[in-house]
Amino acid sequence: MTRKVKKQVETIVFSMPALILVCMMMYIPFVMSGYYSLTEWNGISKEAKFIGLQNFKTIFLESSDFVQSLWFTMKYTLVFVIASNVLAIALAVVLTKKFRFANFFRGVFFIPYIMSMTIVGFIWKFIFTSGFEKLYEITGMGVWNLSWLGDTTLVFYSVAFVGVWQSLGFYIVLYIAGLQAIPQDVLEAAIVDGANGRQKFFKVTLPLLGPSFTTCIFMSLTNGLKVFDIILALTKGGPGTATNSVTMQIYKEAFTNNHYGTGSAQSIVYFLFVLIVTQLVLKAFSKKEVDL
Amino acid sequence: MKRKLISVLLCSAMVISMLAGCGKETQESAEPAAAEQEQAEESKTQETEATETEQAASDEPCEIYMFISSPEYADAINELIDAYKEVAPNVTINYETTQNDYPTLLKAKLNSGDVPDIFSSTSGKEIDVYKEYSYDLTGQPLQETIQDSVADSMKSPSEGTGLYGIAIKGNYFGIVYNKAIFEECGITEFPATLADMEKACETIAAAGYQPFTTGFNEWWVHKHIWQHFLDAAAENAGMDVAELVAKFEKGEAKVADYPELYNNYFGFIDLAIKYGDDKPLETALDGELSAFGTGKAAMVLGQGAWIEADSLAIDPELQIGFNGYPVSDDASQCQVISGSDQSLHVYNDSEVLQQTLDFVNWWYTSDYGQAWFNDVAGVVPPVKTSQTSNFAIINQGDELSASAGAAPLAICYSTDSWHQTFGEIIQEYVSTGDKDAACAKIEAQWKEIEGAQ
Repeated sequence: MTRKVKKQVETIVFSMPALILVCMMMYIPFVMSGYYSLTEWNGISKEAKFIGLQNFKTIFLESSDFVQSLWFTMKYTLVFVIASNVLAIALAVVLTKKFRFANFFRGVFFIPYIMSMTIVGFIWKFIFTSGFEKLYEITGMGVWNLSWLGDTTLVFYSVAFVGVWQSLGFYIVLYIAGLQAIPQDVLEAAIVDGANGRQKFFKVTLPLLGPSFTTCIFMSLTNGLKVFDIILALTKGGPGTATNSVTMQIYKEAFTNNHYGTGSAQSIVYFLFVLIVTQLVLKAFSKKEVDL
Repeated sequence: MKRKLISVLLCSAMVISMLAGCGKETQESAEPAAAEQEQAEESKTQETEATETEQAASDEPCEIYMFISSPEYADAINELIDAYKEVAPNVTINYETTQNDYPTLLKAKLNSGDVPDIFSSTSGKEIDVYKEYSYDLTGQPLQETIQDSVADSMKSPSEGTGLYGIAIKGNYFGIVYNKAIFEECGITEFPATLADMEKACETIAAAGYQPFTTGFNEWWVHKHIWQHFLDAAAENAGMDVAELVAKFEKGEAKVADYPELYNNYFGFIDLAIKYGDDKPLETALDGELSAFGTGKAAMVLGQGAWIEADSLAIDPELQIGFNGYPVSDDASQCQVISGSDQSLHVYNDSEVLQQTLDFVNWWYTSDYGQAWFNDVAGVVPPVKTSQTSNFAIINQGDELSASAGAAPLAICYSTDSWHQTFGEIIQEYVSTGDKDAACAKIEAQWKEIEGAQ
């Protein structure tokens, strides 16, 4: 009995610090923004005016920016999830092979992930403008002379590329861990059964990577949906509204347009959207996992 | 067991220290209240003694918290603060500034109750936004010395009265150009009409220079160019620019109805793209400065008096010229714009209100304070003073506004919330060239952002 009580006390005491912090930083602000989403408030004046569900109506019926930014974010997330996972698996497979500089290359790919997104953004901003200009002077190739951050269609690929480039190292590490956990005897058995390289990869390695795969998809999905810093540093959502992600849009609505209420409402809508999408994807993938 | 005990102890220590952290704030906020009471009591006793209450108040050591934007004047303001230290040794001014995201940081401070005693916003329309927190400076000694055009932009637009702020600087907006390049190309007079401007661009381009450097990457460059055309549109339609802005906010005006906007403004932007930087949307202020300072480009768009020092830092020999924008076929409408686009507010519930007022009054009325604008900060003085400036743009701006008149500062009738969106719309236009889509967006967004407030 005492042991049970002790255990309970222990649980409470141990989880208290985290719980308090999470409440202060996440749940209380969340509930508050739920309230603000029902008000008309500019973020400055001392009182907020209660207007019911008017803000939600504005989002869907009057303001076109939110829906547009939703499209951009979905497009970005799709490209981000596919590109980063495909590339990460490919590189992880190569990097688990035994060759001379394997560890060095693992480090090379991981370094961008350690850097802050903002710094990465500024570095790439410099490369896209001044770096490419110099390359064009040297090589004379037209690719370098394109306005990679100034053209409304090209800028999407620039942003997606930098996003993938930065976070690739993280997914590679997860996949390498997954690959190393695959028992050698299964692979040997496949070889004995006469499987060629491709069959070995698709029929044995990939299914056994299931848990890593689910984790990576989930992580890249949420990171793609939450994209903010890279865009802020690279383009600030521009040119025009070409790279306006939802997070960027919420920030702009609340803090530069001084519509704090509408901004809060947008964040609530987006929260529900992300919740549903991630749950669906997670369910779909965890069903496909294979156990040994 | 021992280990467990230690970890439990550590854990609870953490919780307690955290709770202590939370508790501190309430303590802190209670403290000043007590201090206020003390102060009130003290001042009461002093009043009964009936001796120079005001001076006694400023003798107590106190702190003024000043959180403003415009980091470019940080050094100058620090000098000002040092000078004030000699006048009022007991007053400590905590000066803080930021390069980025000032409005967001200010909002966070206002909402957490940590209101700065002096804070900044743009002038004009944003005065109303921050009015609840601003002290009305009407009747203060500085009202005597503040320039009329500056004082005008510190009124509350909704009431038409009041003096809710002061300015660090007056300002001049227009085209900054390189006189040497103009001379070399044989252009003796600044092209004051659109047709002349196009011809001038051809000549300059033929001479191997880049006629414009545009800085279209910055959102605020667009509002600076746009306001010249907006002024002309309002003038030709026979109304005040404030009325025109109000019409757009209500969704009653159409861009296409004003040829100065629909034809001239967009025509000018097209011209700037044609004769401007190779990658217009990737060129920001630094790109403009380097193109202008190195003598590559002849004219700088969307800037004003503030770029002179930085351009001269690149090439001290640069011969800087300054003029208005060619906005129509009427050369007399090519005017510079003067006024103050920034304002500093004094927090009306400040605990050190009297000391803060003393400081701003000293700034605007003392000899040192008045000379500071010219000698230290190098800006257009927002005060009435007879001193002449060392800066070419300011001197030419003075001359031009005396001879040809200055257009009103149209940007102060809108908030930067709208201007930021406006910048995005024009950036999109620069990249797609779809004028009607841009006009439709201007009409819709202007109403959406500004109409509700």
